[in-house]
Amino acid sequence: MSSTTAIRGARYWIRRLIQAVALFTIAEFSYYGIFRCPFAVPYVSCANCPVVQCPGKQLWLIVLLGILASGLLFGRAFCGYACPAGMLNELFSKVAVLRGKVRGKFAAVAGYGKYVAAAICAVLFFGMHNPRWAVPIRTGEFVNSTVLTFEHAFPLWLIRTSIVVGTLLLGLLIPYFFCRFLCPTGGVLEILGRFSPFKYRVADSCTDCGKCDRTCGLETRPERDNCTNCGECRSVCPVDAIHLGTAAKGRGPQSTA
Amino acid sequence: MSDDKKRLSRRKFMVGGGAALTTAFVPMGAHTAAAASQGTFAGGSLQVWSCGGLAEAFMPANAKFEQAMGGSISYTGAFAGALGKSLLGGSARTEVFAPRVLKLAQALKGQGKMLSFQPLCFTEYVLVTPKGNPAGIASIKDLKKDGVKTLCSPDSSPPGGAAAMGVLKKSGVVKEATANSIYLGSCVQHDVADVAAGKADAAVVERRITRLPRYREAFEVIPIPEEYFPAPPIPFTIGMMKWAENRDMAMAFIDFICGEEGQACFREAGFIPALSDEGRRLAEKYGVKDV
Repeated sequence: MSSTTAIRGARYWIRRLIQAVALFTIAEFSYYGIFRCPFAVPYVSCANCPVVQCPGKQLWLIVLLGILASGLLFGRAFCGYACPAGMLNELFSKVAVLRGKVRGKFAAVAGYGKYVAAAICAVLFFGMHNPRWAVPIRTGEFVNSTVLTFEHAFPLWLIRTSIVVGTLLLGLLIPYFFCRFLCPTGGVLEILGRFSPFKYRVADSCTDCGKCDRTCGLETRPERDNCTNCGECRSVCPVDAIHLGTAAKGRGPQSTA
Repeated sequence: MSDDKKRLSRRKFMVGGGAALTTAFVPMGAHTAAAASQGTFAGGSLQVWSCGGLAEAFMPANAKFEQAMGGSISYTGAFAGALGKSLLGGSARTEVFAPRVLKLAQALKGQGKMLSFQPLCFTEYVLVTPKGNPAGIASIKDLKKDGVKTLCSPDSSPPGGAAAMGVLKKSGVVKEATANSIYLGSCVQHDVADVAAGKADAAVVERRITRLPRYREAFEVIPIPEEYFPAPPIPFTIGMMKWAENRDMAMAFIDFICGEEGQACFREAGFIPALSDEGRRLAEKYGVKDV
């Protein structure tokens, strides 16, 4: 095995390892946020949330600070390395029907959806004190409590949750639909990513062959919207123009793997 | 080079993901499995539902029962009105139910779904102010004063919403207190953080809220006279449901919860235990009898 192949393999398995650790630590929190959190905006009112068993009561601050720090340093890396919804989308993307079909203007316009979602969340949280849209099932059996939450939630909660679940499932049709077009966290990280120092960059030697975005599950390229710095594209670049580094945009040095 | 990613097949990734998911959720069942392995009811299980306000009392009490008697308690705590609706009109079932509001227990008994019930505990309402009581609140009547910033949560699930507003109404301060509210919230546990932070001067809450770990040292607590309490949310009962498969275990559980050890958990969580002189007085006052 060549050293280049070994490095690529190591990079790949490091991401899988991080995903596994993230799944172990925050998957349950992620589940509670979608299916049992009574508030309009989940994951942010955990400290005084009435849902007793939610692991978010211990995890929320460190997770939020971790996501913020990762966003400042690595842009949307959280999406590609640690987000359970991102992992689900990654699985779905393997069988997505319209892989490679949703691009161009539609994708560009729909991409603003995540910023709109982030803005709505900000208004609900900061302007409206994060209203409660569900009767909290304070504690209880895992599945039964989810069923009860759906049974007793207010219409707005049902609409919010249906949109999240529906757009996650749309990932079976259009790869990473939720991540690309609707995730408010992704929208915030996308903005932070514009200023983040550590990211995959494309050097001037790029021939614009398009292999990178055909490989990318999110159908993008380094330094473009929705890039999660997963590095998958680096393996297929025929001229080795994709590099991880801190150099200015478009001036990728022969650096740092 | 190829565009294809061949290092990890879809099947391998799904198997790995499934294994990781399983691992993520395994710890949830570990405690229950350990507790179920020994004691009088070893291997048995009991499904218990209660009003969500009792969760902080039931959780330690359930753990003590499991430790002392064996078996496992599958416990759900949620708004009793919603659970009651599921039990009264829906297909929901549980083996032991501890509702708030006497009429709910009586309705379930009337339908033959609850076999019997007894008094469990009682709640009370208090005023909370930030530490140091900067606005100098002395009684609920002070919520009428100009410049006092209150916090009302009328859209909170009962009893935080309607009942707390009922306390304000019976106290003769509801108009001014509502007008002075810094906002009209939707969740007592969430909103009361703004009282702890000093953004509001006072709010009416159940005493149990002041015993939550987050708020245990966060407030000054001022009693409200009992005459201002609306009756319905005050008493809690506990009863065996007709679906109880192991009635010995269900009865043993109810006896434990209503005994010294169980009732201590309710006192610790901010309730007045039925097993006390005050509890017996309130049971008489509110007519909490299974007749």
